[in-house]
Amino acid sequence: MALDQTVSRRRLLQLMGGAAAVGTLAACGGNGGGSSSGGQLKVIGAGSQEAGLRKALDDYKKANSDFDFNLSFSPADQLQTALRAQLAAGNAPDMHAVYPGNGSAMSMVQLSKANLLTDLSSQSWTQKIPEGFKGAFQQDGKTFIFSPGTSVLGAIYNKKAFASAGVEPPTTWSELLTVCDKLKKKGIVPIALGAQTPWVTQLIDYALVPGTVYAKTPDFDDKMIAGNASFGDSGWADAMDKYLELQKRGFFNDNPNGTTYEQATSMVGTGKAAMAVQVSAVLQAFRDASPSPDDLGMFPFPATDVAADNWIPGGIVVGIAVSAKSKRAEQAKKFIEYCGQPEVVSAWSQAVACVPLYSDGDAKVDPVLTSFLPYLKDNKAVPFMDQRWPNAEVQPTHFAVVQELLGGKTTVQGALKKMDEAYRKTA
Amino acid sequence: MTVTAPPVTPVRRDASKPPRRRGGGVAPPWLFAAPALVVYALVMLYPSIVGAGSAFTDWSGVGEARSFVGVDNFKQLVHDDQALGALRNTLLLTIAIVVVQNGIGLLLALGVHTNIKSRMALRVIFFAPVVVSPVMVSFLWKYVYNPAPDAGLNAALNAIGLGALRQDWLGNPSLAIWSVAFTVIWQCAGYSMVIFLAGLEGVPQELHESAMVDGAGTVARFRHITWPLLAPAVTINVMLSTVGGLTLFTQIIAMTNGGPGYATDTLSTVLYKQAFVYGKFGYSTAVALVLAIFVAAVSFIQIGYLRSRETAA
Repeated sequence: MALDQTVSRRRLLQLMGGAAAVGTLAACGGNGGGSSSGGQLKVIGAGSQEAGLRKALDDYKKANSDFDFNLSFSPADQLQTALRAQLAAGNAPDMHAVYPGNGSAMSMVQLSKANLLTDLSSQSWTQKIPEGFKGAFQQDGKTFIFSPGTSVLGAIYNKKAFASAGVEPPTTWSELLTVCDKLKKKGIVPIALGAQTPWVTQLIDYALVPGTVYAKTPDFDDKMIAGNASFGDSGWADAMDKYLELQKRGFFNDNPNGTTYEQATSMVGTGKAAMAVQVSAVLQAFRDASPSPDDLGMFPFPATDVAADNWIPGGIVVGIAVSAKSKRAEQAKKFIEYCGQPEVVSAWSQAVACVPLYSDGDAKVDPVLTSFLPYLKDNKAVPFMDQRWPNAEVQPTHFAVVQELLGGKTTVQGALKKMDEAYRKTA
Repeated sequence: MTVTAPPVTPVRRDASKPPRRRGGGVAPPWLFAAPALVVYALVMLYPSIVGAGSAFTDWSGVGEARSFVGVDNFKQLVHDDQALGALRNTLLLTIAIVVVQNGIGLLLALGVHTNIKSRMALRVIFFAPVVVSPVMVSFLWKYVYNPAPDAGLNAALNAIGLGALRQDWLGNPSLAIWSVAFTVIWQCAGYSMVIFLAGLEGVPQELHESAMVDGAGTVARFRHITWPLLAPAVTINVMLSTVGGLTLFTQIIAMTNGGPGYATDTLSTVLYKQAFVYGKFGYSTAVALVLAIFVAAVSFIQIGYLRSRETAA
């Protein structure tokens, strides 16, 4: 067709209209959009679960030639925004990350109450969920998420840094202070703290509270729900005092409020810092930052001087759920049923350094987690505290008040008062 | 040769023909604006009205469940320490940005409005940060503000013998807000400069020349000639930086996420957190509505004052 061919006004409008129609239809039926894209199952996972979820999907696809998926991952803050906006607009992916229990705007309880998740209760694996963890998976007796297991929280430490200061992992609070003191005298930052990254702020409290609160009052969460307890009048005050004691003794890196999670991770990986209080799910990030993965170990972070009272935090890791509005819900449910097989649970757990939810025989876990297993066996593990908080406001309030404490802008009682106020707000 | 014009007879306008303007052109029918108006109504008006309605509900942002709560969300706002702190931060940031950004922008404009050889290159250099994404600039400055003594700005201060001035730029609750303000000013001063530069180009050179003949010095000429004639540029710059300051969001979220604690929260970050972190979309919309009304009110008052200043000039 000649380029200089004239086009009548009517013809031009027809062409424009046609182009617009094609564009509109393409937008509706294209494969970059919501849950109706192509023949693929659209999946958005949490970044911390990438290794396990990707392996499970790849293995399932190999065994099912008609199955295909479109997988992407989001860091925690984007799960709160992009994915939540998609849920609100009704175009969420077929399968997506959901936090276990309650306490977050993207948690299982909050989303299931809004009828946004598909009921998985009919699947056989749901019968194997240990009694103590049911609250993380179930709401009103129905199971809404799948998660491969529990992540434990403790100190990820650099073995070479410990060896150079001639110290061993401590088992009591006093021992911890002594170890930190020796590391500091050796010129090594005892504890790397990247408190500019909000979720990191909570970890030291979470590591201490099982010992200062739950070892003495195992039903503390029930008392809180009943209104018979408060953060301010509990062992939370002791935990926060200890958090500040570590800062006052100079055991953190300089300026923790201006330091990010990535910077703290790098400090431990390279041996500039000796340890960081973290969840086992991020072990891989520390290994990536270290010259050799074998340089790193992990031990339970002691909260008291009575070894028997030193319980550990162990929470169900971020799970996956099927969108209630998915057009491929059956396909997604079949995949989740596959994930529930013990061998898949085991493989996924190993890939993300967590303890499998259940197993046939002895559970296979990352060797660095072995020191945590006796606590799990003896029921001395407490789910991450936020998983039983009644609304999504307590956790971010906790982040903010810890930053204020580290910045000297509030007191322990002032911080806990704000958390109590946030707790008493309606869901 | 003489030409006789034909007699002009008034012609009654045919209603079916397009109306004619007094100036002679054809006034376009409103129908031409219809597509744009429809898109505007669908994309802007409808969501805004529906969104405003959410401010009177307890909607979580997902799901269908919502109840009408009247003005409860607005009552809560008055007693919300976090929102009130954010309002204070928003006003502080806005004042800092309006004053310093425009001050620096004016100085830069005056500097590159001279005959120095490198003025064109300098204009490009000063304007360059404006074309970079605010998120990119924020991450760049987050790197510069690294609190480690041997990194970023702290390392630079140490290298020039000012190690005593090293700071935790984003981690110190008293300093973080000013660190963010500096980043915004660094990026946007070039934008103010360009607008002032356009104003300076419009100041007649003859006025300066005659004032010089009368013995006026540089300061006197700026005060009595340049400054009054820059009034329209001042209006635009003050308006834009005020609205930008009152709605500041990107740099805060990217650099501090409102922290440490609540030290850098603004009304925009509060409404974002209420909607997406706390799951309180209704309350978040109430904050947004108040913010929109506040920005509009400030803008109207400002534009009224600045326009009267332009007229006086």
